[in-house]
Amino acid sequence: MASTDKPASPPKPEAPLPASKCPFNYSVVDVTLRVLLFAATVTSVVVMVSSKQTEVVPLPTMPTVRLPLPAKFSHSPALIYFVAALSVTGLYSIITTLASISVALTPAYSKSFLLVFAFLDVVFVGIVASATGAAGGVAYIGLKGNNHVGWNKICNAYDKFCRHVGSSVAVSLFAAILLVLLSMMSTFTLYKKIRD
Amino acid sequence: MDGVGSNVKVVESSRRVTHCDLILRILGLILTLVAAIVTGVDKETKTISVSITKTLPTLHVPVTAKWHYMSAFVYFLISNAVASLYAAASLVASMAVRTSKEKAAMALVILDMTIMGLLFSSNGAAIAVGVLGQYGNSHARWNKVCELFGGFCHEMTAAIILSLVGSLVFFWLVALAILNLHKKSG
Repeated sequence: MASTDKPASPPKPEAPLPASKCPFNYSVVDVTLRVLLFAATVTSVVVMVSSKQTEVVPLPTMPTVRLPLPAKFSHSPALIYFVAALSVTGLYSIITTLASISVALTPAYSKSFLLVFAFLDVVFVGIVASATGAAGGVAYIGLKGNNHVGWNKICNAYDKFCRHVGSSVAVSLFAAILLVLLSMMSTFTLYKKIRD
Repeated sequence: MDGVGSNVKVVESSRRVTHCDLILRILGLILTLVAAIVTGVDKETKTISVSITKTLPTLHVPVTAKWHYMSAFVYFLISNAVASLYAAASLVASMAVRTSKEKAAMALVILDMTIMGLLFSSNGAAIAVGVLGQYGNSHARWNKVCELFGGFCHEMTAAIILSLVGSLVFFWLVALAILNLHKKSG
């Protein structure tokens, strides 16, 4: 009797489906945000690395002599930190996209994965926010200069360099906002698990 | 009986987390407030001698370093002040409302995270400009200024370190809350 009952039970797993549909939607949004994060970090790094510009400017020691001098991101420690931090974030976004897809396909591991995601997302919020702050602070001095300490602006000479740095910082700001959204979502998923 | 025991355990662990939470919030409040105050009162005046031509006598010009001369330090001070105000408000809120209620805890986690991002970005900006002041940048011809304003730079460094520890405190707040949510969900 029990064995004949079993074929009748398959409709049963259909009942929890509406409940499990919700986490699936969450994971779709999660994967989308992570792919967007990857695109944003890669764009930001590429734009920053390709910002090299050589211009004919007067020499620092002899203002009468004009020589072609390059401007590139590796001249400033803040911009080097920016490129390193965003490259690491890009790598992290690839790994977590794959992990997020695999969790969506096999929900068995989802609990420990969720905790790790929530932690690492918060760590990367800190990393990307500090990198954006550092690059933005230096780029602002490059744009406006500072007459109190005698730092001249360089953006009038190196226009392409400055445009690249500015857009790169803007894209990384977008990446930081994406990461905040992602970590809010990871926390919210944990929260939903309590309510269910 | 068993159910009662586990219930007591859950209440105890959440109370311990709340104590830890309160201590961390007070720490964050103190650290960011002190960082903001140290930045705000940091001021140094030095006299430099300028000789324009050999015939004219050398001029002694007083020059001052203040936080609001550098936009990154303005951002640093404001975000530290905002963070300490938020820490005070959240301290009051978490004492008034029991944070064991998940909804309030969720709202606090999200706000904590935002403030943490703000603190980290302002620390990044202040450190980047501080490094420029310390070492200068020969490519952009930005000379170092910390040789002249040694005291100003030391106080700024202290404020940055305090604020860095403060932002790590906010990170631990978020991490603890996430761990707490994880424990409750299991």
